[in-house]
Amino acid sequence: MPVISKIEIKNASITKDNLLTLLEKVSKEKTLIAPVRNELEDVDFLPVDNAAAICFDYDNTTSSAKDFFFPQYECMFTFSGTSSNSIKDKNDGEEIVLFGLRSCDVKGMELLDKFYERTFEDDYYLSKRRKSVIISVACSELNQQCFCTATETGPVLLEGFDIQLIGTGEDYAVQIGSQKGLELFEKYRGLFGSEVAVDVKKLLAQAKQQKPKFNLQKVYENLKEEKVDEKFWEDIAGRCQSCGLCLFLCPTCSCYTVTDRVAPNGESRRNRQWDACYFRGFTRMAADYDPVRNNKEMIKRKYHHKLVQQIDEFATSGCVGCGRCNLACVGNVNWLDNIIKIERAG
Amino acid sequence: MFNSKLYIPTAATIEGVQELTYDTRLYRLRLKNRKSDSSSEDGYRCGQFVQLSILGAGEAPISICSSPTEKGHFELCARDVGLVTGELHKLKTGDELGIRGPYGNFFPIEEFGGQDLVFAAGGIGLAPLRSVIKFVLDSRDDYGEVIILYGARTKEDIVFADELDEWNRRKNVKVFTTIDNPQKGWTGHVGVVTTLLDKIKHKSKAKAFVCGPAIMIHFTIKGLLDAGWAEEDIITTLERHMKCGVGKCGHCYIGGKYVCTDGPVFTYAQLNSLAIEV
Repeated sequence: MPVISKIEIKNASITKDNLLTLLEKVSKEKTLIAPVRNELEDVDFLPVDNAAAICFDYDNTTSSAKDFFFPQYECMFTFSGTSSNSIKDKNDGEEIVLFGLRSCDVKGMELLDKFYERTFEDDYYLSKRRKSVIISVACSELNQQCFCTATETGPVLLEGFDIQLIGTGEDYAVQIGSQKGLELFEKYRGLFGSEVAVDVKKLLAQAKQQKPKFNLQKVYENLKEEKVDEKFWEDIAGRCQSCGLCLFLCPTCSCYTVTDRVAPNGESRRNRQWDACYFRGFTRMAADYDPVRNNKEMIKRKYHHKLVQQIDEFATSGCVGCGRCNLACVGNVNWLDNIIKIERAG
Repeated sequence: MFNSKLYIPTAATIEGVQELTYDTRLYRLRLKNRKSDSSSEDGYRCGQFVQLSILGAGEAPISICSSPTEKGHFELCARDVGLVTGELHKLKTGDELGIRGPYGNFFPIEEFGGQDLVFAAGGIGLAPLRSVIKFVLDSRDDYGEVIILYGARTKEDIVFADELDEWNRRKNVKVFTTIDNPQKGWTGHVGVVTTLLDKIKHKSKAKAFVCGPAIMIHFTIKGLLDAGWAEEDIITTLERHMKCGVGKCGHCYIGGKYVCTDGPVFTYAQLNSLAIEV
């Protein structure tokens, strides 16, 4: 069963007041996750039980929404003693509605869906995803820190969404793109207004009038053909502190490690938790052999993974252009500046 | 597949433990909850691996070192080098452990009918190749000459010593064993495994299987290439840190491939095109 069953896009509209009413109703019936501004002025996704708590005035959230499907720390199963027969699968997930994802994060989720469906299906991720509905909100202007027009991941989506809201000044145009989105729409049909046709292709062309920050195809070719000077990689390797923050914040990073732990309640658990390829030891094996010999190779591996391998496999960029990593880096390793340097190499 | 749910190990009983060296043991395993023929112990291919799971310690990828031609059990060979293998070494006959798999690709041995086969192994790198060797010896007439080159650090580090002797007595099989440095009581060949490469003559219809520590693989492949072997006739299997074995955790990713699902078996030609250094 695919995470998103695409349907022919259906158009509608909704007023700001009715959107609040919709979110209020949803929050009473299901778990609603939406952007909330905290006392430190950070906007992040949190469960909300009333629509008044939702923040509408934000560029993007501090973290991506991947946490709700691929939690930072997750119990896979519990066990007692050493027998496999004692294992109790802890794969559960409640029905959630996420509101306020930007287009880039929806594209990131789409890539994760494909990743977790490839080879073997990862039920821990996919069962949560299948129970979720996402109402995304297209960006009406390009933000300074991001570059979705270069990565072809926004600011508006042509497809791949459940429900997409596009601001029309006062109100929103609504696009329904999946079966799950349609079910939510039908349930609250009365809150939606008549069809407002939006020419998404035209919106995307308009967004591209502001020159994209790089040419993705050129970046892909220069990386694939190894046209980048070794000194460039050495420079990044010298500044990266291996803190892993860029990878934790990345909407498409999905590496994890597995640990067996006894929880405070005495329960033995096998957990998976986020890991990062920038942590030294990520590839190190028993007897100290490490096939990724140094930080330079470690850095190259990530750039190649997101900007070559994922494009080859999923036909979409592994970087969705959200710019979170740039805001977070303590070593001033600017991913965007580096991509531009890669574009200009060779 | 031995396990029915992706991340949930299935129980296997240790039917026998054999001490191979001071730090390496061979475990003979039988599935505990066999549901159907599809989960029988021979449901794997030469070169595949399992995720060995010891509850409370974790999991580690281990090559299956028996041949699917043996029915009713499969075997794993493990050195006591890490957390999981350390716990494994505490287990005895009759104890239970967890298994997920079999995972990964395999040596396409059925495609090499009629060809001469060379196996070059270093240390415990003999384990995955033992699966192929036993498979070939069980269908002896289907293949040409078999030459096995095996190197260990010291005579105490030699694994499967009795089997190496037994294979050497077989028709059309030659085994050459070496240790790295001279040692009292050792009358055989001395030197790293590459010093045995002059025992083989390169033929165009032949395959070479190489497995061992990274440095052994590196120099053995170099030696074979110098002797005129084609890149696509040299086959190796890569060992990598893995948490899932199913292409999700990201640890084994290298050169655009996931060793757990795209590998672990690669020809040297493939590794070269992926710029994976060995």
